[in-house]
Amino acid sequence: MSDSLYLAWRYIGFNRWKTLTLMACITLITVLPLTLQVLLSETERQMLARAASTPLVVGAGGSALDLMMSTLYFGRDVPELIDMSDSEEIWKTGLADAIPLYVRFRARDYPIVGTTLDYFDFRGLGFAAGRPLAVLGECVLGAEAARRLELKPGDSLVSSPDNLFDLAGVYPLKMSVAGVLKRTYSADDLAVFVDLKTAWIIEGLGHGHGDVARDGDTSVVLERSEDNVVANASLVEYTEITKANIDSFHFHGEPENYPISAVIALPHDAKSAAILRGRFLESLVTAQIVVPFEVIGALMQNIFRIKNVLDAVIVVVGLATVLAIALVFALSLRLRQREIETIFKLGCQRATIAHLLAAEIILILFASGVLCVGILLIVDHYSADLVRLIFVN
Amino acid sequence: MKQSIKLLVLIALSTALQSVRGADDDPLEVYVVNYTLQYFASRIAGGHARVEFPAPRDSDPVFWKPSTATINDYQKADLILLNGAGYAKWLDGATLPRAKLVNTSRAFSDRYIKIGGEATHSHGPSGSHSHTGTAFTTWLDFQQAILQARAIAEELVSKRAGLKDTFEHQLDLLERELLAIDSELMEIGAKKPGIPLMASHPVYQYLARRYGLNLRSVQWEPREAPTDEQWAELVGILDAHPARWMIWESEPAKETEDRLAMLGIKSLVFNPGANVPESGDWLDVMRENVDNLKQIL
Amino acid sequence: MIKITDLDFVYPHGEFRLMVPDFNIGRSEKVAVIGPSGSGKTTLLNLIAGITVPKHGTVEVDEVTVSRLEDRHRRAFRITRIGFVFQDFALLDYLDVLDNILHPYRITRALELSRSVRQRASVLAETMGIADKLKRPVGELSQGEKQRTAICRALLPDPSLILADEATGNLDPDNKSRILDLLFECVDAHRATLLAVTHDHELLARFDRVVDFQGFRGGVVE
Repeated sequence: MSDSLYLAWRYIGFNRWKTLTLMACITLITVLPLTLQVLLSETERQMLARAASTPLVVGAGGSALDLMMSTLYFGRDVPELIDMSDSEEIWKTGLADAIPLYVRFRARDYPIVGTTLDYFDFRGLGFAAGRPLAVLGECVLGAEAARRLELKPGDSLVSSPDNLFDLAGVYPLKMSVAGVLKRTYSADDLAVFVDLKTAWIIEGLGHGHGDVARDGDTSVVLERSEDNVVANASLVEYTEITKANIDSFHFHGEPENYPISAVIALPHDAKSAAILRGRFLESLVTAQIVVPFEVIGALMQNIFRIKNVLDAVIVVVGLATVLAIALVFALSLRLRQREIETIFKLGCQRATIAHLLAAEIILILFASGVLCVGILLIVDHYSADLVRLIFVN
Repeated sequence: MKQSIKLLVLIALSTALQSVRGADDDPLEVYVVNYTLQYFASRIAGGHARVEFPAPRDSDPVFWKPSTATINDYQKADLILLNGAGYAKWLDGATLPRAKLVNTSRAFSDRYIKIGGEATHSHGPSGSHSHTGTAFTTWLDFQQAILQARAIAEELVSKRAGLKDTFEHQLDLLERELLAIDSELMEIGAKKPGIPLMASHPVYQYLARRYGLNLRSVQWEPREAPTDEQWAELVGILDAHPARWMIWESEPAKETEDRLAMLGIKSLVFNPGANVPESGDWLDVMRENVDNLKQIL
Repeated sequence: MIKITDLDFVYPHGEFRLMVPDFNIGRSEKVAVIGPSGSGKTTLLNLIAGITVPKHGTVEVDEVTVSRLEDRHRRAFRITRIGFVFQDFALLDYLDVLDNILHPYRITRALELSRSVRQRASVLAETMGIADKLKRPVGELSQGEKQRTAICRALLPDPSLILADEATGNLDPDNKSRILDLLFECVDAHRATLLAVTHDHELLARFDRVVDFQGFRGGVVE
């Protein structure tokens, strides 16, 4: 067999383009469904693991899926907003801990997630560098966001304006990086976490500026009445929160009316969860309480239904490819007819021809197999990132 | 499928719960924002909690600003006891875990006293500040102090259910002492209803409300000589409010006391107990406050 | 060396019949076979090599009755005892010169590719004047070099009989003579028998004997 392999090796080496084309066909048709399988498994793992670890989510009425994509995976679409008071209501029930989330703004294309420190404990997020959020204007980066933005504790990151034509003047806020989280292979890796209050400052609900009521500069004052001072646009608002100006930051209106996108509710036990769900069903029409595992489970079922169709397509394409490959071998046999006749004449046994062809097929299949395994190992290695790239971003 | 969903949700719940509840044997790490809360928590928890109040002894906990490292210490605590009513301004700019925060005055948050005015003043090197918004020395109404102590006890019990009896017994003892002070103060208020009094600082709103004191405030610092404008302001107030006593947070400067005496005003100290006293404990300070206040009778 | 008795061969469809009542070639003899196309020269070579088997009669080579051997043994006999030289050289373009020479050793178990075989291949190539081209792909060789390679391949297993089918047909006159010289030289050195089908009448004089198939079907004219 080694002689046959040697001859086959020389043959496929001589016909390298034909060989490479064959290998590419075989590799593709093998790798495609397997890659799809690996990616879907990873998607399922990531999405379901995150959904399963998030007992209940409260958000505005509307698409439960949009709410999940925003709350669990920090997707780009902002669901309808609810009030901070909804989070406090959940605390007050005594049935669950509540973790408010405000996922709306972005910093250089990475989602800014306004939340409380409880989120870090809840997700078990550890620090690779730096420390947790401590004061307004700080942010903590997910591992991947920090890597891609090349940021470390002590650096700063500017929030992106909501949109270019935002005339209401949502100033970009320069945030200082307090810490970088350990990698978790979840949406948290790509997030920029800030305190809820910092998110509200980005929105313009809170801001810091010199005291117009007391400072001598009258050029910024439009109108002064007994109990109110109206400043004009030349009043400089701070775009960075520092030790020196942090005290000037303040919020207008009641914080409980401030917007959040969702609340993650952590019921104290299964009974509390049931009661909490019951209360929401009864009393709150505009809000919804959702079990993420159910929503994402349904989504995954749909994805797997689509996958079945894809599998069928791949089977058909695979069959066509196998036929094409068989044709290629048959044609190759025909091209080698003269060679086969010669070696028959020389006196080789019938089986030798079969050996030679088998060796050629084995070598091509083996090389394709190695290529497949290589590609699949790479896909598997980057599957977590790939899935995040496809589904989260 | 449904069964497995339920199972997974239950697993997630129990994991979440485990992360909330710690081991029962370790003493709880409790951080507070003023001495009053430190005293209450220490009394109730005894050796079952380490109650930390990191503000320096000479600082005003309302306007004190902790370092980032200290904020991190707060974050790591098992429990963070807040006074509520806007007490400890640094909380507005700090990030703390909501699950560990306890607003001890939440039970009576509907009875917070709103204060207006744009008066600002200065405390030496720490810069100017203003007393606008909500009156925050809530515990000087000793009924409110009892509610705050109860809120602390309730939270400690929720963290260490096994120590419920111990905590409730300690709370009971504390409540009795607070009630005793409350009734003494009620007595004082009843004996001299409507008697005009001055306060050197606007921190006695709840004391005045609960015990029926007719109190007006200036904004003087015990260790700083009042300016001429401040003297003039006082004289102006005295026209309509003929007070004979001024209540100070701590012993005033001799010169100020003498000049007040010339106006016929005597000084007495009612230490709000926001920070750790030179000697004795919170209850000693309050008992001394009551004795001092009896001088007006 | 070759002994054919009462041979009667018909192709399956019966379009051609070859009858050889008696035909002998002695050891170390160099015999040329001539005749017009379709006269049965190649068929004769195939019958001698055992590639085809006659219906009647026997073909003996080196005292082995080839026509009675089983297919398996016939093939083994052919690859070990008979060397082939073809008009179109029948070299494999995906192998270099050396691998082409060694090729028979790689397609049968009847021959063992040992170190001494490789040495012999080098010596043969040296004799044939292609020693410096052993690692070259055959596509880069001239026609003459290709035929020298084919001769080396035929001679390497040290066969007792060389069958050459128009071995010089694709060569220019200079090369023809030179290749024939080399072939004769090697056949002599190996004490082999040579049976060559050829159309080159000017070369016939160099053979020991010429067998003419002209105008003859079913018999042999010498």
